[in-house]
Amino acid sequence: MVQRVFRLIVLFVLVTALAACSGRMAMEQTAPTGMPKSDPLNGSAAESLWQMAVTAQENNQLAAAGRYLERALYMEPDSSWLYRELAELRLREGDAQSAEMMAQRSLRLAPPQPAYQSALWQLIATARLRQGDSDGAARAQAEVAKLKRR
Amino acid sequence: MSTPRKSPSKKKSAAKKTAPRASVSPRRWRRLFWQFSAVMLVVGLLALAWLDALVRQRFENHQWQLPARVYSRPVELYSGRELNEQNLQQLLELLRYRQDGTAREPGSYGRFSGGVLLHTRGFRDSDGGESARLLRIRIDSHRIGVLTDGAGKAVPVARLEPLQIGSIHPGHSEDRVLVRLEEVPPLLVHMLMAVEDRSFHEHHGISIRGLTRAVFANLRAGEVEQGGSTLTQQLVKNFWLTRERSLSRKLVELPMALLLELHYSKAQILETYLNEVYLGQDGGRAIHGMGLAAQFYFGQPLAELKPHQLALLVGLLKGPSYYDPRRHTERSLQRRNVVLQAAAGQGLLDDKALSHYRNTLLDVVPRGSSALYAFPHFIDLVRRQLGRDYPPQVLSSEGLIINSTLDVLAQLVAEQKLSNFLKTHEKLNGAVIITAPDQGDVLALVGDKLARRAGFNRALDAQRPIGSLAKPAVVLAALQQPKKFHLGSVTTDGSFEVRMEDGQVWQPKNFDNQALGPMPITEALAQSRNQAIARLGLDVGLGEVIRTFQKLGVQSRIPPYPSIFLGSLNLSPFETAVMYQTIATGGQRTPLRAITDVLDRNGQPLGRYPVRPEQAFDAQTGFLLQWAMRQTMTRGTGRYAVNQLPESLIVAGKTGTSDGLRDAWFAGFSGSHLALVWLGRDDNGDTGFTGSSGPLRIWTSIMAELPQRPLRLAPPQGVEMVWLDADGLRRSGKGCDGAREYPLLTSSIPSEASTCGKVQSVPGGIKKWFKGFFD
Repeated sequence: MVQRVFRLIVLFVLVTALAACSGRMAMEQTAPTGMPKSDPLNGSAAESLWQMAVTAQENNQLAAAGRYLERALYMEPDSSWLYRELAELRLREGDAQSAEMMAQRSLRLAPPQPAYQSALWQLIATARLRQGDSDGAARAQAEVAKLKRR
Repeated sequence: MSTPRKSPSKKKSAAKKTAPRASVSPRRWRRLFWQFSAVMLVVGLLALAWLDALVRQRFENHQWQLPARVYSRPVELYSGRELNEQNLQQLLELLRYRQDGTAREPGSYGRFSGGVLLHTRGFRDSDGGESARLLRIRIDSHRIGVLTDGAGKAVPVARLEPLQIGSIHPGHSEDRVLVRLEEVPPLLVHMLMAVEDRSFHEHHGISIRGLTRAVFANLRAGEVEQGGSTLTQQLVKNFWLTRERSLSRKLVELPMALLLELHYSKAQILETYLNEVYLGQDGGRAIHGMGLAAQFYFGQPLAELKPHQLALLVGLLKGPSYYDPRRHTERSLQRRNVVLQAAAGQGLLDDKALSHYRNTLLDVVPRGSSALYAFPHFIDLVRRQLGRDYPPQVLSSEGLIINSTLDVLAQLVAEQKLSNFLKTHEKLNGAVIITAPDQGDVLALVGDKLARRAGFNRALDAQRPIGSLAKPAVVLAALQQPKKFHLGSVTTDGSFEVRMEDGQVWQPKNFDNQALGPMPITEALAQSRNQAIARLGLDVGLGEVIRTFQKLGVQSRIPPYPSIFLGSLNLSPFETAVMYQTIATGGQRTPLRAITDVLDRNGQPLGRYPVRPEQAFDAQTGFLLQWAMRQTMTRGTGRYAVNQLPESLIVAGKTGTSDGLRDAWFAGFSGSHLALVWLGRDDNGDTGFTGSSGPLRIWTSIMAELPQRPLRLAPPQGVEMVWLDADGLRRSGKGCDGAREYPLLTSSIPSEASTCGKVQSVPGGIKKWFKGFFD
């Protein structure tokens, strides 16, 4: 019992310290748009293509937006953000399977930011649900919950 | 009873016989004449109405037979892009840019100290395409350092227009590039009229004056300088009639020309003429229209042609075969100069320009040098993939724009490296495929050491045993049973026999006829040990291995024999690349695509071929297999490549050699490119090469020339680097005897630890500690 109380105290101290740090880290690592600062897209030529993709989506030109993002990914294949954008676009186009695959790639390249990763798992959960994979969606939701607890 | 009636009838008939002679009168002749005239008028009117309907129906409903055109991937230009000066020059030459210092017009470029000023041509794409623009490119250490527009303003990204690499016309042999009248150089139209029809804008389809003038002009010139038919008549001949010269055809031609002029404007007639006129023959392909002729003879768009080139096209109208500039240079030159002279006579060229262009060479590009024929094996792939979605009729006539995945620079590298290697091996041939794993794009495909030779496409159609290229599938099948196998698990390299159902005995042998005994799976793969991998395959199960091949994307029938563990499985290089593609993506099966999108003739998107991967196995297992294949490169049969390539370039791959050295393979990948090389003989004889001594060399030289990105080293979540004992059964410490470090799935990490060294903590240590709170 004494050991358990001791562990709880240690944990409380650790969590408090981490919370203070993570708030600061989130501010430092995340660009205003939600793009992780560590993402190679930041400041690259591909960023201008991503911006064109955003404009194309706003004008409902989804095919054009897809091409912009694919071109951008050729330039910056390690950009988790671009894969995430492509996943969201595919979901919007009704191609849930591709959306899930792109989100998986995004996750593989994602920086260790729980909020960002949790959003990706949420995207995977939605894509799986749309494919009729409720078990897979539940597993993805469990990952979301796990990340939110961090 | 009948006799009394006979005699009067005889009399009547006699009277009848004599009657016409008696009744021939001018009045009756007149009547007959009017009757005949009325009939002829009706027939004439009906014929005219029929011709009118024919002219209108054909002209208005005419669909140009426009074959689908295939374009390469446009080259992206942006600061930081790997591109050396030689590559840029190669691209400009392929796209037939003219060097003119100031790059005033699209399709031209100039050089300045440290860079190139170029004026790109515009094009349509499913994302809207690009407008023609002036760009200033500065190259620093094999990369684009600075990219600005003509005014010096930074340009984030721009594209060179795609190269047309082929046209697909399965149903007929006509080809053309449609041009609008406003895109046609005015000088061409003026030259055309000066030579073919000076009174085009005055006549109504036929011109007596023009005919007379042509006769006199030709008499004066001593040769046929001007034609007698108007452009309208020529169009009628081209459009509706046969080439036969007969009076009856002439009788039809004249009213049709008049009718055409009655219904349509001069501009419509001229535009149709410019697109319809026959200008040459390219094997089985008829060259129609000025647009295609400009590409065919000069490799440039019509709008970019100079006066002497336009004059050549106009001169060709008189006899495309007789004046063929490639076969009859002198004759063609004379004819061109006749046209230039006629143009000068009309005030279209001054004396100085006339003299300059008369003394200019023909500037015709050599036959077959056009990119249109350069990549027959890649086009073959495009045709097959298109054939799944579009019927032949649509492909041959709708003028579709096919944007392909071909990376021209990668293709040229692949061709050159294969042919260089095989230069001294007459009987050998080969195939190379390069893909971009993440997108599944086929960047290059070579199906013959003579890359321009159309014919047997070895990349797609050679079905050959893949040899040890099958081994990663066996290892993958094992890794998919994480409770039984991990990369440190031991298999045995030793002789054994398998008795098959049909009574035959299979006894795998090693290439060196040695048996090395127990060894980790990773080592068995790296050293390509046949007996060790065959043993592993049996432990995993034949069915599991077959299922793994299928998961990887193999669609061909896989024979249910254990010999498939060692690659007695016939696949084409392309299908083998599909299989390796899944490995290169780390588990996502991405169908290989040669097409990104299809547009209609107006540039509107019709069909898309987006990247559509499927999960074949999880990313963690994918990482493990890639890691094992990296060991092949660092200390196994692929060592040669690592010694040649930059240290920072992390690659993975596998060699393959079939029985009797009949086939030699190498398939390997970096983070950005997968390349597969196959060598073999068409008579299935001994190549004299193993995967290491032949294809690996070619592969290395190709990878060294491509802009590369290394494979990712960091293990994904769920994979940890763990030191294991030599037998792979216990955790161990760095430096312990026989201990090796492997990436393992968390679920595969042995719970037991050896006593040697500082043993790594297993997940479960700190995790267990934290878990205590929640249990």
